[in-house]
Amino acid sequence: MTAARLEVRELTVAFGGLRALDAVNLTVEPGSVLGILGPNGSGKTTFLDTVSGQLRPTAGSVVLDDVDLIDYFPEDRAALGMVRSFQDCRLFPELTVFETLMVAEDARRPVGALASTLRLPAARRTEARHRQTVEGLIAAFGLEGFAERRIDQLSTGTRRVVDLAAIVAARPRLLLLDEPTAGIAQREAEALGPLLRSVHAETGTTVLLVEHDVPLTTSLCDRLVVMEAGRVVSAGPTAEVLADPAAIEAYLGASDEALARSGGGSTAPGRAPRRPAARRPAQRRPAR
Amino acid sequence: MSIPAATLVQGLILGLNYGLLAIGLVLIYRTSRVLNFAHGEIGVVAAVLLAKLVTDFHIDYWPALGLCLIVGAASGGVCEVILRRLYRRPRLIVMVATIGLEQVLYLVTLLPFVRPTRLFVAYPVPIHAGFAVSGVRFQSGDAFALIVAPLAVAAFALFFLRSPYGLAMRAMAENGESARLAGIWVKRTSTLAWMLAGLLSAVTAILASPDRANAFSQALGPELLLRALAAALIAGMASFTVAFAAGVGLGVIEAVLTWNLRQASTVEVVMFAILLVALVVRGRTLRAGPRDEEQSAWAFGSATLRVAAAGVRERVRQVSLVGAAVIVVVLPVFLDNSRTFLVSRIFVFALIAISLTVLTGWAGQLSLGHFALVAVGAVVTARMLGHQSILLILPVAGLISAAVAIVVGLPALRIRGLYLAVTTLGLALLMQVSVLNTPCPRLPLTNWHVCTGLPDPASTLITRPSLFGVSLGSQRATYYFVLAVLAVALVVARTWRDRGVARNLLAVRDNEVTAAAMGIRVTRTKLLAFALSGFLAGVAGVCFALVTQRFQATTFDPSQSILIVAMVIIGGLGSIEGAVLGALYLIGIPAAFGSGTTVQFITSGVGLTVFILFLPGGLAQLWHQIGDRVARLLDGPLLSASWWTSAPEQSP
Repeated sequence: MTAARLEVRELTVAFGGLRALDAVNLTVEPGSVLGILGPNGSGKTTFLDTVSGQLRPTAGSVVLDDVDLIDYFPEDRAALGMVRSFQDCRLFPELTVFETLMVAEDARRPVGALASTLRLPAARRTEARHRQTVEGLIAAFGLEGFAERRIDQLSTGTRRVVDLAAIVAARPRLLLLDEPTAGIAQREAEALGPLLRSVHAETGTTVLLVEHDVPLTTSLCDRLVVMEAGRVVSAGPTAEVLADPAAIEAYLGASDEALARSGGGSTAPGRAPRRPAARRPAQRRPAR
Repeated sequence: MSIPAATLVQGLILGLNYGLLAIGLVLIYRTSRVLNFAHGEIGVVAAVLLAKLVTDFHIDYWPALGLCLIVGAASGGVCEVILRRLYRRPRLIVMVATIGLEQVLYLVTLLPFVRPTRLFVAYPVPIHAGFAVSGVRFQSGDAFALIVAPLAVAAFALFFLRSPYGLAMRAMAENGESARLAGIWVKRTSTLAWMLAGLLSAVTAILASPDRANAFSQALGPELLLRALAAALIAGMASFTVAFAAGVGLGVIEAVLTWNLRQASTVEVVMFAILLVALVVRGRTLRAGPRDEEQSAWAFGSATLRVAAAGVRERVRQVSLVGAAVIVVVLPVFLDNSRTFLVSRIFVFALIAISLTVLTGWAGQLSLGHFALVAVGAVVTARMLGHQSILLILPVAGLISAAVAIVVGLPALRIRGLYLAVTTLGLALLMQVSVLNTPCPRLPLTNWHVCTGLPDPASTLITRPSLFGVSLGSQRATYYFVLAVLAVALVVARTWRDRGVARNLLAVRDNEVTAAAMGIRVTRTKLLAFALSGFLAGVAGVCFALVTQRFQATTFDPSQSILIVAMVIIGGLGSIEGAVLGALYLIGIPAAFGSGTTVQFITSGVGLTVFILFLPGGLAQLWHQIGDRVARLLDGPLLSASWWTSAPEQSP
């Protein structure tokens, strides 16, 4: 399947008086990887929720390859090839890894309940094919030891890998990733980079990545968008955005002056929270 | 529509009752997030004890009353301490546990030192103040209720709003974690809230008892509880004032309707409509509250944990299945007619339990009115038998039941978890009181009559048909017929479990958002669960009718639905084997040890509570553990022969 083009026009989400998203415009070209950076509460997850249909925007439109998705349910958007991962990566706690991947595979090419109950030959063939695909995925992602384990018995890192496998199973045309490194160990996070890159290479899909891990994001993305308080403050090719003072001011905060200022405690009230100090060195590492 | 003054007074007395109960329900829900089905019964224990003390032991009324109120509060506290073990478990499980407690408390009222020796004496009332309103006499008990109920509410409001304990309860209701950080003893406060609710319940039951001819049966049955629940839901499970007012309002409405319509069946329809409207209107508010009860509704325990698929384990499973099959096929040879009938009954209930497993175990939708769907199957049978072949009746009954189930499921798309449970309980009551009792009601605004009720609500008798020239008239023939249906259902359910259908239901139950993002049609999947479950229930209804032969509207009362819930939970929720084992346990044990109501309550009430508390995986868990043990034994030095270990690889 071909990668999709995503265009977001004047997207606005208001919760009461609060504007979580304020007229966001954004285009992701087919096959490219766009990263969204921004402090907590800047509207990144809200943006993803609106694009994938969990949340209905107050105004604006989400267009996938010339189709306006505003009245589409999440499952309809999924049918168009839009796939997303969730920050908590809860998946289905009481299904096994194998079953979870089968669900993802079945969702894409459903088998009728009646056909499956009567074990019609067509249903059996589809089932067998899905089984084969899933077994291939389990092998490709190195999950052989976990196939019969239940999701709630896995670590967040392993769940993340299962989630990625499910994503590949769904053959996305547009992939929305919500903080894939959230809640996993540093070592697992480092291993995730190459894995994400190979998923992108494998599927050739368009990717929208929301992430806090700056080195990971910059190494993966062609273009970056920096958000603050529901607005896009900087957008463009990765190298340009990294050098953009507005982006540094809003989020990257890697300049020595900014560090010194935050140490002095003179941060203005209402300012977006800074990253914990422990993660700072990682952010200052040059892009790989 | 006329509204005489006396009817208003009657409605007011009734409504005070509902209102008091509703306050207690809201109190428990706000502090513990539990819909407490035992709430009414807690007070009944105190009320029955009061009669015992006054009429049997001749203790003065007031000291006896004080003692009984203490007993009421203590019962509430004890319930909380028992349920506390479950606070980390899904809220729906806790709710089912309160159903178990309710039945245990009912048992308590039967104990010799609680139950009065003479049952049909006037319930003690401390004042003599009968009065008349436009010619209708009201007893002293009514006057007492009219005086005391408002006082009790005022006292409660004062305590809740002014005392430090009330403040702590309110803080806990808003945010338990923060309350704990602020130094509130959450456990103690929770116990206190339950004691307060117990006290309220005791007052309610003591005020309600004089009106009843025999106060010592299940004085606060599902009808009363359902009204109180409706009032509590109208209040959004939050406001005491609204809950109380709604309770009084419902009482008055009910009295006025009863006076004007004079038919319990029609009144019930209106009351159900009010409940539905309350749920739909309140649905948004209710969902906006804390979302904890909506998270993945059920934990299976280890019931569905697949054991490492070692060849030996698989072989043990096959051998035990074949063994069980041989036993049930040969069994009738050794059984007399009544025993054959009994085992057939177990099969029918196993079928119903499997149908509930699909809906509750897999899709996570708790139905407290599942027997209503079985009733649909029975009605279809009663209407079609004699005209059509039984082979046609089976699918038709299944399809009609499935359609009804889908209609019930539609509000479930908006209403979740606890609220669906209340709706289905209402449906069960509606089915028994209205639908089954009216053979052919007229469609409103038309002249058409639709025959949706039992042909004879008091006693419908069906003649068993023939199949392929063999009469099903004998117990044994019916036994084999039901066994065959059960066997097919088991294979079908197994197919659903292993091949996709159940997988999707579980996925939607566990995480609706992710499932939708993966492209699963959430609405369709949920309705599919209702349809599949309804189909099986309808088929079970046909078998139920064939086995039972004679039944009436009261055969399908709501307590049967609750029995089925107990069955799937005792068996191990979500497990197909568990459903069968649960039926065996709950129908078989009463059969083995006498079929009195008491035994039934012990097996379901006490059994339910014990299983939820100590064996979350139910009988299925035991069953699997035994299988594992046997497999390990056999796998040892006993068998190293290659034919055994190279058992055919079964797909999981």
